[in-house]
Amino acid sequence: MSTVDMAVDFAGMKLKNPINTASGTFGFGWQFQNFFDVSRLGAITTKGSAAEPWPGNPKPRMTEVRGGMMNSVGLQNPGVRGMVEESGEYLADLASKGTAVICQVAGHSTEEYVAALELFEELCPWASAFELNVSCPNIAAGGAACGSTPEGAAEVMRACRPITKRPLLVKMAPVRLPEIARALEAEGADGLTVINSIPGMAIDVHTRRSKLSKPTGGLSGPLLHPIAVRMVWEVCQAVDIPVCGVGGVMTGEDAAEFILAGASVVSVGMASFAEPDAASRILDELEAWAASQGVSHISELIGAFEC
Amino acid sequence: MPTPSPARIHDFTVVTNEPIAQDIYALRIAAPELARRLEPGQFLNLAVPGNAMSLLRIPLSFAAADPDEGTIDIWYAVVGEGTERLAQMQPGATSTVLGPGGHGWTVPEGCTRALLVAGGIGVPPVLCLARQLGAAGIPFDVCIGAATASALVGADAFKDAGAGAVLLATDDGSLGHYGFCTVPAEQLLRDADRHYDYVATCGPEPMMAKIAALAEEAAASCEASVERMMSCGFGACATCAVETVHGMKGACMCGPVFDAQEVVW
Repeated sequence: MSTVDMAVDFAGMKLKNPINTASGTFGFGWQFQNFFDVSRLGAITTKGSAAEPWPGNPKPRMTEVRGGMMNSVGLQNPGVRGMVEESGEYLADLASKGTAVICQVAGHSTEEYVAALELFEELCPWASAFELNVSCPNIAAGGAACGSTPEGAAEVMRACRPITKRPLLVKMAPVRLPEIARALEAEGADGLTVINSIPGMAIDVHTRRSKLSKPTGGLSGPLLHPIAVRMVWEVCQAVDIPVCGVGGVMTGEDAAEFILAGASVVSVGMASFAEPDAASRILDELEAWAASQGVSHISELIGAFEC
Repeated sequence: MPTPSPARIHDFTVVTNEPIAQDIYALRIAAPELARRLEPGQFLNLAVPGNAMSLLRIPLSFAAADPDEGTIDIWYAVVGEGTERLAQMQPGATSTVLGPGGHGWTVPEGCTRALLVAGGIGVPPVLCLARQLGAAGIPFDVCIGAATASALVGADAFKDAGAGAVLLATDDGSLGHYGFCTVPAEQLLRDADRHYDYVATCGPEPMMAKIAALAEEAAASCEASVERMMSCGFGACATCAVETVHGMKGACMCGPVFDAQEVVW
């Protein structure tokens, strides 16, 4: 029996609880339906999709590192139409059960973000919000190349803002966060997702080659959790729009750190790979923590960090 | 929506875990429900305890599943920190396994004779298929390649499964043909008295590419079981991509067994 009201407001949405899933770690949701009731979650964020299908990067796309992993998937996706055809029915049903469906939008340029978002807006009446991925570290153009300066991020946001009245979120690169966050807020972003994976390198010293198909890849997992908490805290100081914390959440206490640092919502990422029902467990642990803090609403704990 | 992976999380207990060749171990686990559900060529994703810094499961093929005993035999090569940790698991140790993963072999309807070609630690999924062929009364021959005699596994097990010819090859010539097992495989495929209509292979990719080309020449259908680094094993992460003539496909959902002519080698 729940003693804490876990509902939170996020970017104009009412979520039944603060647990979300990081894009790229949760497929389109249905991959997890046989492991747990996905509609328990406050939200899911789907794999980034572009106006046209993308093949992604060559193999190898993944290598495990101590305390985390690195990937070079390169945003392989079926395109918005393919995504709607494959997963639209499932996602519409999920949304009808009160789990917000946040669709991530991918592009190589401002024009491509616009084209993809226009398709999402037209084809996904069930989508609760859209998340612009201007921070993928694994594509040659777009992604982090767009979102690593205030000007670049603002340009994408300015072009996309008129396309939809639904909440527009931005997945942020782990660079220049406060100033880019302010630029995005000024252009009308409804919320920020902090952070995307951090560019890293892993070299096979025997072959002298990268352990991925490219020299660098995106580092994720609990090894970067303290960095992500710090970045969420810094962004929360800089802007008034709400933040979703992402980075190495393995337990309810990891999620609680993000909440205390100021995040309204927390995404579970890599944890879902080895333990497909991790997000459900983390939700239970977060609720137990909130109860232990003696509050009646978890929202009382957002930003309750005391220095 | 597409069909989700058949995989579920199952508890397992180690029954035995012993070396059977150079850097190769045979692990027997008890996981009754999973043992009943496995099809030859599918894969398992094991959580191996003992290192809090290692967070992903280890995807492995299996050599046999006994639905009556509820056990699964896994032969694995010790190649890094994760499999070294697996080799430390003692009888009675417990953990979880995610499976069954993907889909296995599809022996063509009316198959009259098959050739199986396995290299290195590619033996287990092929051995599993051999037992299926043997039980179905379909004649088959086998070529096994390994780096050296002490690392070659499965020769006796294939014979027990009912193999006709079992031809061996080692890179250093210490056992059987001196060189790659693609050479004896080529001889068998070009033997006018043997009409193979199905070839199945698992091993290093250059070996499988060569076997796929030889099978095409011999007008036999060919399936190959591929290996990839993967994060999840149930279709969520897109890290185990295999390049095919129909675009990138995930090894965990569309494989690990592919039509060899579909793969861009």
